[in-house]
Amino acid sequence: MLRHLNEKERFTPFLLLGPALLLMLLIVAYPLFQALRLSLFDASLLRPDRARFVGLTNYLNVLRDPLFLRSLLNSTIWVVGCVTLQFTIGMLGALLLNREFPGRGLVRGLSLIPWATSGVLVSLMWTWMLDGNYGVINDILVRLGLISQYRPWLALPISLGGVIAANVWQGAPFFAVMLLAAMQSVPQELYEAARIDGAGRFQQFRSVTIPLIMPTIVITTMLRIVWTANYMDLVFVMTGGGPGNASIILPVLSYITAYKKLKVGEATAMAVLQAILLIITLFVYLRLVNRKGEGGLSLYEV
Amino acid sequence: MRKSSVALTVVALVLFLLASTAAAKTRVTYWLWLDDPTDTTVQELVEEFNRLHPDIEVVTETIPLANYYDQLLMAISGGGGPDAARFKDWWLGAFYDADLLEDLSPYIANWPGADDVVPNLWNTGMIPGVDGIFMLPHQYITFYLYYRADWFAEAGLNPPRTFDEFLEAALKLTDPANNRYGFGLRGGAGGQDQWLAFMVAGGARIVDEAGNIVINSPKAVEVNQWYIDLYRKHQVAPPSAPTDAYAQVVGAFQAGNTAMMAHHVGSSVMMTDVFGDNVGVLPIPAADPENPATMGTMSGNVVFSTSDVKDAAFKFISWLSEHEAMDKWSKSRQGQLPVLQSVAEQDYYTQNEFFRVSLEGGNYAIVWPPLPGTGYVASYVWQNTMQRALLGEITSQQMLDEIAKALREGN
Amino acid sequence: MRYKRVKEFLFLWIPIVLWLTFVLFPYVWMFLTSLKEPSELYTSPIQYLPKKPTFAGYKLLMETTKFPQFILNSLLVVGGTLLVTGTVSTAAAYCFSRFDFRGKGKLFGMFLVTQMFPSVLLVFSLFLIMRTLGLLNTRLALIVAHSTFALPFTTWLLTGFFNSIPKSLDEAATIDGATRWQTFWYVLAPLSAPGVVAALTYVFIYSWNEFIYALTFTSSIDMRTVPVGLNTFMGEYIIRWDLLTAGGVITAIPIVIFFMLVQRRLVQGLTAGAVKG
Repeated sequence: MLRHLNEKERFTPFLLLGPALLLMLLIVAYPLFQALRLSLFDASLLRPDRARFVGLTNYLNVLRDPLFLRSLLNSTIWVVGCVTLQFTIGMLGALLLNREFPGRGLVRGLSLIPWATSGVLVSLMWTWMLDGNYGVINDILVRLGLISQYRPWLALPISLGGVIAANVWQGAPFFAVMLLAAMQSVPQELYEAARIDGAGRFQQFRSVTIPLIMPTIVITTMLRIVWTANYMDLVFVMTGGGPGNASIILPVLSYITAYKKLKVGEATAMAVLQAILLIITLFVYLRLVNRKGEGGLSLYEV
Repeated sequence: MRKSSVALTVVALVLFLLASTAAAKTRVTYWLWLDDPTDTTVQELVEEFNRLHPDIEVVTETIPLANYYDQLLMAISGGGGPDAARFKDWWLGAFYDADLLEDLSPYIANWPGADDVVPNLWNTGMIPGVDGIFMLPHQYITFYLYYRADWFAEAGLNPPRTFDEFLEAALKLTDPANNRYGFGLRGGAGGQDQWLAFMVAGGARIVDEAGNIVINSPKAVEVNQWYIDLYRKHQVAPPSAPTDAYAQVVGAFQAGNTAMMAHHVGSSVMMTDVFGDNVGVLPIPAADPENPATMGTMSGNVVFSTSDVKDAAFKFISWLSEHEAMDKWSKSRQGQLPVLQSVAEQDYYTQNEFFRVSLEGGNYAIVWPPLPGTGYVASYVWQNTMQRALLGEITSQQMLDEIAKALREGN
Repeated sequence: MRYKRVKEFLFLWIPIVLWLTFVLFPYVWMFLTSLKEPSELYTSPIQYLPKKPTFAGYKLLMETTKFPQFILNSLLVVGGTLLVTGTVSTAAAYCFSRFDFRGKGKLFGMFLVTQMFPSVLLVFSLFLIMRTLGLLNTRLALIVAHSTFALPFTTWLLTGFFNSIPKSLDEAATIDGATRWQTFWYVLAPLSAPGVVAALTYVFIYSWNEFIYALTFTSSIDMRTVPVGLNTFMGEYIIRWDLLTAGGVITAIPIVIFFMLVQRRLVQGLTAGAVKG
């Protein structure tokens, strides 16, 4: 039972929430409205005083631009590729770390280090490993017989693949730890019961583990989708969207439009479209997931 | 007690005096890029200037060339940014258009060093049709071709003088199995200069005499296609060529992976250090030997109109363009052609093969015109379209059309 | 017995080694590279272990580059962010957990929705705001921006933690005569320690590694944080991989140290917060 709010306390909630609300208003809400407003103008970074109101022209231009559509495709490949691979490797890691063995705590701790690494540092490490002349990944692939010659991965049309590899390395451990935690809260008796019923390891996994950790899977995946869609550090530093436009994803295109093409109005329109698309994607995702019978998962209850 | 309070007062006074002289120092922020960041010449020059001018303190910041234009714009449009900066003629048009460059002609009129500057180099800092000088010339280059003299001798090849000879030599010297390629084509950042060198040597132009943009003329499309074919059709360039910038191209040449490389006198000291006599220098091969051409570019110094300390800033950049400082900079590991006559007359420059070929190229060098869109093309459009063309996503015509549009419209 | 051992080796230890290799290999490779001289670096076929390990690269970096300054800037920004986020999100989380008011759910939802906006959407508007406030090229601008963007996730995490502490404990404390503040400080706070550690670690990592805002708001070298400094460094010294990797190692050290110190609590906190009991 909550304590009754008496006269003295009527303002306490506002005092407690106040600073947070203030920051959000100043740093998120206000810039957001400014950005929406800016997206209706044709403005150059170099000459902001020469901005012209153009209404929805920026949005129309962007939607008709093949480059935008290409970056949309790349973003989709980026998100789907990264999240599915991170999830798969993370799941394997979680299963492994769920076992009892000496030094488990240390291994688990070490596992989170990729997640704690800055995007720029990850880019540095992976650009070096993927180097076309001296990259260790080239060497390993050749030794494994998978390729015959060193390839300059980040200079090829599939450069996005190299960046995905880096992101999967950075993000899989996060999945591993989250899934591990969920797994550890599954009561052992359920596994016992399944075993008695004759279920093998894999069946136990399918019928006991998965359903019980489903909420965590859903939430973690959702978080990763959002985060990956907006994550531009790796692509920006490793390829800059290149070669040409081969690896350009939406946030990078938006940044380049603002700071290289200097068209800030158009860049903002792109970013707004991206946010809208992301929100739509999430609604669709949550609908699909809820339909599977998990019940309502409102953000607050989550 | 008495003694220590006297001592304290003295100390306080001294500190106060020091502080006030320190406060009297004018602080000038100067940005530059360095092809070789381990070279300390510029630092030494700045320290010397600060020593000779106790009332001015110059503080430098090094920004990589690939990001230079964007960072400069971001900083200045953010209300910050440097007072003076090393500058390329590529960016003159865009910055002038945005009223960001201070007209230096009043300062130059009172600068004794002005007479020493090679007269026709003043143009590189001027905008056609506009009175005033917006960039103080400092170091310039014309493009030429390095080649592995030892490889050519071994293969019994003559140094190429025409486009056809160039292609023939490149094909002969390409051996992918041994990671050897004929030409280090540069599709990455900054590659537009050597591309332009080949384009004009092939007979194309950016603008015609009347000032119309002709970079997408049929002739230009043809030459551009020849350049693209080096990578796509004849494969005489390394597979990483589309994204290779200076460091990768020079790294490949030095590691013995490419037979020829286009660059300028700024790297000649390093090349002779690494190769000795095994590296030779040639003018850029011409499609038509009767009409040679190459590309030239000026790296000068500018003062920004947003600066509060323009006088001190000009003092610094003009000092850099005076005899001693110019000589020291030009003789450094990254030194380029000096703009001063008194410096250029020295044996060091006239007796050096690399400088000689550069100077000869100066007779027929074409520069990027200071159009509003040149900076934009140099910092983004050229690289983006070149890579797409090299990857086969767009045609030569489409690439040049995009560049023409960008030159015309700017940012 | 032996069969079990072999099985264990195959199905437990080998996977563990593979997993650790996956997790740590890039770091190990970066470290090995930083110890090689340029002549050992650019060999064909590539050499794995340095024959003559050297710290020359590190020496050159510490003497000629501004890495110490970058680390200092990052520490200042992160410190400020921890302070601001810590206090503001704790207050907000306490409010969400212990009070009921109209529109609470919606407000909370709005907090979380802001996580969906790409940084590029707001970066230019924020750039203009910071410029107007005269905060461009200051660490304060980054502290403000980082704190605001770390707020939603941190608040969510802490709210979950506070929610898992039964309100009956609050009641008990009140009956004993404790004020709200005392209840918070002596009852709630100690019990949610793992959650607080998790939240603060998240903020630390986020702020330390943040790149886009740091890149856009700072223009001079003495204000650069580690990621921005490292990025510029990569642009300058490209293909000097001996120096680049040494720089990478230097920038990795603070966070790896911090991380190893808090990792146990962090995992506890993250996982308990995410999974409702």
